[in-house]
Amino acid sequence: MSSSNYFPIKPRGVVALCLAMLLTVAGPVKSEEAMALTNGTIGYVFTDLFWSIYQTPGAEECPDGFNDGPREQFTALFPHHESLTVEQTQLWQEVQTWHPNTEPDGFAFHSVEGDLSWGLNLDGKVSDEDFTHPEGTAGIDNQIYRAVGCIIGFRGPDGVEYIFQDKAIFDSIYNRLMIEITGIDDLENDTRVTVNLYRGSDRLLTDATGSTAVAGGTQRIDRRWGQSLVRQMQGRIVDSVLTTEPIEDLIIPWQNLGVPSIQLIRDARFQLDLSTTSAHGLLAGFADVDTWYYQLIRNDSTHHLSNGQISGISLYKALRLFADAYPDPESGDNTAISTALDVKMTQVFIVEPE
Amino acid sequence: MKFLFNAGCRNAAAFTLVYWLLSPSLLAAPTGSADYSVHEGYRDVPMPEGFSVVINELDGPVFVNSEGKTLYQWPQKEHRNGYSGEPQGSPQCGDEVVRVTAGLMSPYPPGILLPELDTRPSCTDLWPPEFADEQAEEVGEWTLIERADGRHQWSYDEQALYTSIRDVEPGDSIGGRKRRFGSGFGRDDPAYRIPLAPPQNIPPGFAIQATTIGRMLTTDKNEALYSFDQDTASSTACEQHCLHKWQPIFAPALARSQGDWSILERSPGVRQWVFRGKPLYRYLPESRSWSQLGSDEQGWHNVFTQPAPAYPPSFTRQATIVGEVLANAQGHTIYLYFCADDSEDQLACDHPLDTQVYRLAMCGGGDPDRCLQHWPYVLASPDEHSINRTWTVLNIDPTTGRPVREQDLVSTEYLRVWAYRDRPVYTYGIDKVPGDVHGGGIGEWRGQRNGLRAFWLRNDFMSGILR
Repeated sequence: MSSSNYFPIKPRGVVALCLAMLLTVAGPVKSEEAMALTNGTIGYVFTDLFWSIYQTPGAEECPDGFNDGPREQFTALFPHHESLTVEQTQLWQEVQTWHPNTEPDGFAFHSVEGDLSWGLNLDGKVSDEDFTHPEGTAGIDNQIYRAVGCIIGFRGPDGVEYIFQDKAIFDSIYNRLMIEITGIDDLENDTRVTVNLYRGSDRLLTDATGSTAVAGGTQRIDRRWGQSLVRQMQGRIVDSVLTTEPIEDLIIPWQNLGVPSIQLIRDARFQLDLSTTSAHGLLAGFADVDTWYYQLIRNDSTHHLSNGQISGISLYKALRLFADAYPDPESGDNTAISTALDVKMTQVFIVEPE
Repeated sequence: MKFLFNAGCRNAAAFTLVYWLLSPSLLAAPTGSADYSVHEGYRDVPMPEGFSVVINELDGPVFVNSEGKTLYQWPQKEHRNGYSGEPQGSPQCGDEVVRVTAGLMSPYPPGILLPELDTRPSCTDLWPPEFADEQAEEVGEWTLIERADGRHQWSYDEQALYTSIRDVEPGDSIGGRKRRFGSGFGRDDPAYRIPLAPPQNIPPGFAIQATTIGRMLTTDKNEALYSFDQDTASSTACEQHCLHKWQPIFAPALARSQGDWSILERSPGVRQWVFRGKPLYRYLPESRSWSQLGSDEQGWHNVFTQPAPAYPPSFTRQATIVGEVLANAQGHTIYLYFCADDSEDQLACDHPLDTQVYRLAMCGGGDPDRCLQHWPYVLASPDEHSINRTWTVLNIDPTTGRPVREQDLVSTEYLRVWAYRDRPVYTYGIDKVPGDVHGGGIGEWRGQRNGLRAFWLRNDFMSGILR
């Protein structure tokens, strides 16, 4: 019995559910498009979300190799740890992690050296530090990629961050972001649509394996705890690609390994290929550096960071070095860093809770 | 009775059911619980002379010794790189001071010198074994274990028993705790010492879970149980459409009323468990353990065997994107600090009388002033005082983090701070507005071993709010 049996829903949801039932009874997919797109509205729920990392088969973008993590750095720093105290070793390393700074740590940091990156041109400019899109667009702003691209834990398909986040987006309702596009006249081309962003309250509808989300599910909007996450943006659709105008800030609920945290993305915007069953593309903007960093180390212990060879100590310095937006009014140091996230969504019927 | 115990040894599950359903001794209310309307019941078990049961305001019934000291066990626990704690019949908590780390928690290797070795206590300094005198006789589950020095120590279920020097008043359980705080990934918690409790007085199929808001009655699958205002012990207002959301908890045909528990026959042959005069239900839409989702329905309430002690009146509840959190008067989220070292004896470092090296490192890189900025104490106003054994006001030296003795108050700068289980609570400097919870998970092992965890009152996105 699905959860919708227990929750009387408002007319919009009734229409969606009736249509879903019709689909089940009628069978043929002929009307699927019409049902997913109802009254000029279609919804999608996030199923995949991770930092966009451009990887070549031979990791040519990392000519100096991959970075060391906490385990390797500990060994290098304290080869004779048996003669030292916890304060001089383990706690020293933890203090550097939890109270990071921009001073050199004595380890060479390997950043991405390649010219290519996924992402968007966020500022409309082309500068020396920008990347070029593999399809040729210049001016790609994705400095988080420069910072994390040569850290094993951030690279797919088996980096520890990649694996954990992939699973958390799918499994954790805390992370259940979804968009609702309204005012659609034509899903292929429309000069103006409105995009509402909500958090859902329900598990994903999956196939029989339980590991693949399928279109046609229902998600109730989380009005109880998720109201502060609601955003609205304007956009247009050209050749089935939705591009939205940037909004001031977007909060991504981001929990893995049991610590509910967030990411704060300024000037956030979507670029998504749309179909009646799915959407995929990019969510891009400028990530607040401190929020980004503390999300990482709150969710992952030093143990988990070690498994991905992620030195928080070294990475924080790189994030600060490559930060490229929102200068602090007093220090002038940039507080945000350009980024892009690969996002995949599955069509869903979005309804109000009872 | 002797036969039943023997039968139970061969088949514990069957024994438990038969014992519950048929034993005439359980038709009478268990002894020892002072007030059934507030406190949790328990099942009587034979005890050696001098031991008794008291009701702890957080942990419910616990065994205490002749001095009123709560008894603890230290069960073996798996860590990332090995085990600590005690296997049955084998005390590991020794008299010698452990000097180096055990390397149980990756990525750090073993063999590093532990802090403040000149003052570091031994395991038994903090956890005195419960020794037996020469005339002691084993009774039921209470048996004697011979320690390495030849002395006899009491054990229960072959698990050695200790007391805690942190317990001050009779029945305190300041030293240890029954459950992890937060949810999930409990294997990264330290190997806690656990207060020893008598068997719970609940029918098969039920469980009691310690949470921040009380000892929650659940099914043995951790599903929350609910009662409805309009129900009585002999009637239910939840019928027809109501049953689409609420599933009665059915009682088997042989179940009998006793103590807090009775039976409502909803219709011929359909019997529902009733607890303290209210029929019990499960909320069908719930998918998480120890949930409070059903309490959003008007007239429906989670069921507790006893509530958690009241928190200070000046504290507030704040909505977050996770659920509800306990906050100070200004609405800033309150955090608990958890700490245990990576040693074989897993000594705690979260009490103000424990070493402060770990806490000062984590909150301020060793700088007490930075600590006060990053992890401000929750101050008690001059007219606020300890309200129970759980929420107390301590005088703390902000430089050392240590308690200030009464006779030193005139000569020492100190802060009056709120404490939970005698451990100061904090806010987090980065939190700016009510509802911010940026400090949760700060510190080693997501705040489980040297860091902060938010004081959740309701969490709809993890598995409950275990204490």
